[in-house]
Amino acid sequence: MQAAARRPRTNHLDLAQRILDVARQCGFERGAHLPEQQIASLCNVSRTPVRAALRLLAEQGVVHWEAAAGYSLAIDATAPAAIAAELPASAEDELVEAILRDRSARRLDQTVTVSGLMRRYGAERKTVLKALQRLTEENLLDRAPGQSWLFRRAPDNPEAQGESSEFRLLLEPAAILTPGFRLDGARATALRQGMEALAALPDAAFDIREFQRLDIDFHGMIADGSANRFIADALSDHLRLRRLPGIYVGVNVYRLKQSLREHLAILDHLESLQYEVAADLLRVHLRLSRNQRPQAASRGAPALFGMIVRPG
Amino acid sequence: MHKANPTIVLFPEASFGAALNCVGIAQALRARGARPVFICHAGFSGVFADYGFQEYQLPTKDPLSASERQSYWQAFVRRHLPHFRLSPADQLETYVAPTWEAIVDTAVSAEAPLRQLLAQLKPDAVVLDNVIMFPAIAASGYPWVRVVSCAETELPDARVPPYLSGLAADDAGRAAFEAHYLAAVAPAHERFNRLRADAGLPPLPKGSFLEVSPDLNLLLTPSIVRRERAAPLDPARFIYLEGCVRSEGPFEVPVFPRNGGPLVYLSFGSLGAMDVGLIERMLTVFDRLPARFLVNVGGLRDAYRAVPDNVHLDAWFPQPSVVGKSDLFIHHGGNNSFCEALRFGVPSLIMPYCWDGHDNAQRAEETGVGRHLSRDGWTEEVLERTILGLLADDAMRARLAENAADMASRPGTEMAAEAILSLLRT
Repeated sequence: MQAAARRPRTNHLDLAQRILDVARQCGFERGAHLPEQQIASLCNVSRTPVRAALRLLAEQGVVHWEAAAGYSLAIDATAPAAIAAELPASAEDELVEAILRDRSARRLDQTVTVSGLMRRYGAERKTVLKALQRLTEENLLDRAPGQSWLFRRAPDNPEAQGESSEFRLLLEPAAILTPGFRLDGARATALRQGMEALAALPDAAFDIREFQRLDIDFHGMIADGSANRFIADALSDHLRLRRLPGIYVGVNVYRLKQSLREHLAILDHLESLQYEVAADLLRVHLRLSRNQRPQAASRGAPALFGMIVRPG
Repeated sequence: MHKANPTIVLFPEASFGAALNCVGIAQALRARGARPVFICHAGFSGVFADYGFQEYQLPTKDPLSASERQSYWQAFVRRHLPHFRLSPADQLETYVAPTWEAIVDTAVSAEAPLRQLLAQLKPDAVVLDNVIMFPAIAASGYPWVRVVSCAETELPDARVPPYLSGLAADDAGRAAFEAHYLAAVAPAHERFNRLRADAGLPPLPKGSFLEVSPDLNLLLTPSIVRRERAAPLDPARFIYLEGCVRSEGPFEVPVFPRNGGPLVYLSFGSLGAMDVGLIERMLTVFDRLPARFLVNVGGLRDAYRAVPDNVHLDAWFPQPSVVGKSDLFIHHGGNNSFCEALRFGVPSLIMPYCWDGHDNAQRAEETGVGRHLSRDGWTEEVLERTILGLLADDAMRARLAENAADMASRPGTEMAAEAILSLLRT
């Protein structure tokens, strides 16, 4: 964490990400002009932070700057993977990631304190506080009495995974069936390209991390498309838990590819506005992803089984 | 004339080891155009479908509710954990005999539905990976293949140590163990022979629960640990396999806060993961070693606190891919784990808790492919010395690497699939 001073400020990174989200939502293509005033107004901020965020994007090669023309997009804004990879991590990002990884491996207890985290990670108080604030905003952590924070329950054991699966079965098809569902066309196209490319890879070259990104983004797109804001919020909060380390267990490439094919079939029906069929296929997909799997079995051990939820 | 797409029914016992051996064989059968399908015990649903195979589940009479299941399991663990620290001889009454009773129960309850399923599927062959005969298979008339996926001791011979004994072949205690074993399992064996009689099958000799197949028998015993037999097995009916390792997805080694040194993988299997106390003791030792440790804790992640920075716990690992990246594999001596360690040239530290784990631990020492440590009789210094010794044993590593290359050139899964399909062509 000592290199924090050289890293970009978190608020500039956040704004840079927002600029790219806006560019994607507006359908900006490579070479599209990015006027500072228009961006500032679309992002509801003043021009000064926009300038800093655009400079940051220019350093990463995401936007291009010319004295005469100003800023323009240097990448395809409909490819979120490319954008995510371009932005550097802030000190808080790295700390958040380390905290989540250590909690998943049970190196951190369920309760943590600011001073404990400062000692463990050699981080400044303000960095730790920002990381804790981020984790709290993302509903991964709760403020406990005194100076401590409490990790919320994650779907990282068979019982919690079963409950998570039930929750998604209730709400994800409902997100599609609630009147007013709207598919983000650009996001759907980017996801389709990503999923088709991944499904075409040979098993030995299959990228599980890319699968995880696509899987979360696919289900996130369905949540975001819901016209009912409470369904969308509840699902988005829950899907955030699936980004945590240690959630994707018990998977093999055959099932992951099958899961991608199921996603593509759902997408076909969403794009052709056959929402009822898409919701039915989504329900089947989620059920296939939560088959019973043995929790423990061995010679002479009783046949006792628990739920393990595969990606879906 | 043989069929182009024969249906091969695989029926593994309800354990991950047997199930995943059979997945490896089924993958190779499918690649040759056959149609492998699985008959599985209730609750194993999804394990085989995950690899793209059709499953037929044996019905369960009285499925337990979630809370009944939990309390039954807790009672099982409470009852048997102390037994896992006993010697093989002392386990005969406490664990082995009740286990055989449970296995006979399984055969009894599976008999009627298995008959129905075989009549429905009309397979070209049946592959049985178990330690007991299901009379419906022998009585069906279909060719059947026995997979001996335990240690080689499962097939008795004068120069092979007694099954489950953990003894050397020439151990002075051999006769006493054999007599003790026969007496301990006699009630289960008598009950099993009555089941056979009801199905019109002849009785098996004392202590034997599964005959050799008249058609084909596959032994998962790599040559490096194979034993000389007083009565060699007929090569026309008995084929030794160099393990039976399935293909699994890639594994990315996680980042450790203390990220340096060789990689050690610890997995005691799904049942062994219940021994939280043992694993916690081991973590204390791992903390002071210059290595990184991947530890399989099954569904019990929440039982651990303050895990060291050079340890990564997880509920599941794609084992063959993980072993392939490891420098040492600490396991319980399950034959599947042992074969995977050999297949990837990784030394084994075997800490057995029951069954043929004892036999494989003994064999690992005898053949110099690993070390044996009892689960209870170690101090922190002994465990530390053993791990560091294995990591520094370059001679063992070189020998294992040479053997692994040989095993890779003769994959057991491919040999098994070829042998099964050849059986159909004769």
